Amino acid sequence: MAAPLRVAKHRQACVVGIHALPFSKNIGMTERHSGGLAILGALADAGLTVRDLDGMFRYVWEGTTEMEMARILGVPNLRAFGEVDYGGGAGCPTVTHAALAIENHLADVVVTWRARNRGSGVRPWSQQYMATGQDQFERPYHVARPVDGMAFHTRVWIEKYGWTPEVLGRVAVTQREHARKNPAAMMQKPLTMDDYLAARMICDPLRLFDCCLETDGALAMVLTSAERARDLGVTPVYVHGFAMGSGPQMTAMTFFYDEVLGKTPNAWVAPELWKRTGLTPRDIDVCQFYDAFTPQIPIAFEEFGFCAEGESPAYMADGKNPPYNTSGGGISEAYVHGFNLLVEGVRQVRGTSTSQAENVRNVLVTSGNVVPTGALVYSKDPW
Amino acid sequence: MSDANLDPKTAFPVPVADADTQPFWDGVARGELLIQRCGSCGAWLWQPRPICPRGQTPGPTWTRVSGDGRVASWVVMRPPTLPAYADKVPFVVLLVELDEGVRLLGYLVDGDGAMLETDGAAEGVAIGRRVAVRYHDQGGTRLPSFTLV
Ligand SMILES: [Zn+2]
Repeated sequence: MAAPLRVAKHRQACVVGIHALPFSKNIGMTERHSGGLAILGALADAGLTVRDLDGMFRYVWEGTTEMEMARILGVPNLRAFGEVDYGGGAGCPTVTHAALAIENHLADVVVTWRARNRGSGVRPWSQQYMATGQDQFERPYHVARPVDGMAFHTRVWIEKYGWTPEVLGRVAVTQREHARKNPAAMMQKPLTMDDYLAARMICDPLRLFDCCLETDGALAMVLTSAERARDLGVTPVYVHGFAMGSGPQMTAMTFFYDEVLGKTPNAWVAPELWKRTGLTPRDIDVCQFYDAFTPQIPIAFEEFGFCAEGESPAYMADGKNPPYNTSGGGISEAYVHGFNLLVEGVRQVRGTSTSQAENVRNVLVTSGNVVPTGALVYSKDPW
Repeated sequence: MSDANLDPKTAFPVPVADADTQPFWDGVARGELLIQRCGSCGAWLWQPRPICPRGQTPGPTWTRVSGDGRVASWVVMRPPTLPAYADKVPFVVLLVELDEGVRLLGYLVDGDGAMLETDGAAEGVAIGRRVAVRYHDQGGTRLPSFTLV
């Protein structure tokens, strides 16, 4: 008698298709329209069609359900589907669910996507006046914008570790340099440290160029099994491993009421990721760190163990860090809840980034880390 | 009441209590700061919740506290804000660690509970500064806030 499939050997998942529509302030179509086009583009990139597609995973905040998208595109049957919550924290966990579906034979060709009209649409925080749940203790004080929560965190690092404004300015300037090499990036104007320092405060200590862009964008990626990828004639980008974490006593964006102050959930994700992958920071050639705001970059270098706690300013000033956010990231390419970071990580392994790092074997990607979140590693080589 | 009943040009966000949080807001209306304390392990708990997360004991006790504490973090709000705040910027919001150990948010206010139009420099706002609770009236809603002492 054959072993039941549910205990069959796990198989590795890999990314075989990516696609991004042009980023803009007004994409001129609905999110279900742009999302559908992004998925078709990613399938074409993989040499696959809608007839091959049998799994879909999305962010909860993605406005089009898997059911609706499958209906729009004509998917014959979804054998696996699901959603992950918590805004930009959902990026890597969504890909994780897609990879798990493939590893466990739930589906063979799985798509994830994010389409968001946040450039032309309203700012969500400007519409929410009835503050329920955790918001009732925050929003009435105007702790309503995403930047507000991050600013409280940033102040703690500034005062605890003596961060100067230049610590964050360096991130903004570096990512703009990457963006200017990337024709798809929204921000093409040069940005100097003087420009950064002269810009107005939005929520002091955070300035204008500490904040991500407001973008209409749509991106998708297609994953399949390593065996299936061999028949496709594409360069597979292997999903080497992943981890998720919330830490204790989490509140979205305001993770500072209880025992935790001066940490993000990545402090819990990172050890889990290194344990699960068997890798260390020294094995990582490029990072795509979630960057709704610049402080998330130095904090990520510390929490993932690239340098010790408190040492990221010197570590980054000395250029000891691997390249990060090589497309320009959320700060200077586009802000689509971090999906562009997931796509840029694939390009780095493929060797097709506009700021291509050398000899890339492993790429670390992270997701929004003032909410429950996750991280993953893409690799050039299979397990 | 739905968001649609509020005029966004003049409205401030309104706290909407539920059964787990109503005692807090009832206390604020009386000018009392109530924080939950676990009757089993003694832990002070914030935000309000039905079960102590340390030992899973249900029904923590609403307990009046002094409202004294220190600044644990702080920010200065600048545009773009909600429209009702347009003539209030810049203003400071504090994360205050009460002497009981929990941290909660509040405006920086004067001794009478009025919001200060400031970036915090003149007052010397900094992590570690001692504060005391005051109550700020925001469009008819009382909000715990803090003054430097
Ligand atoms: Zn207890």
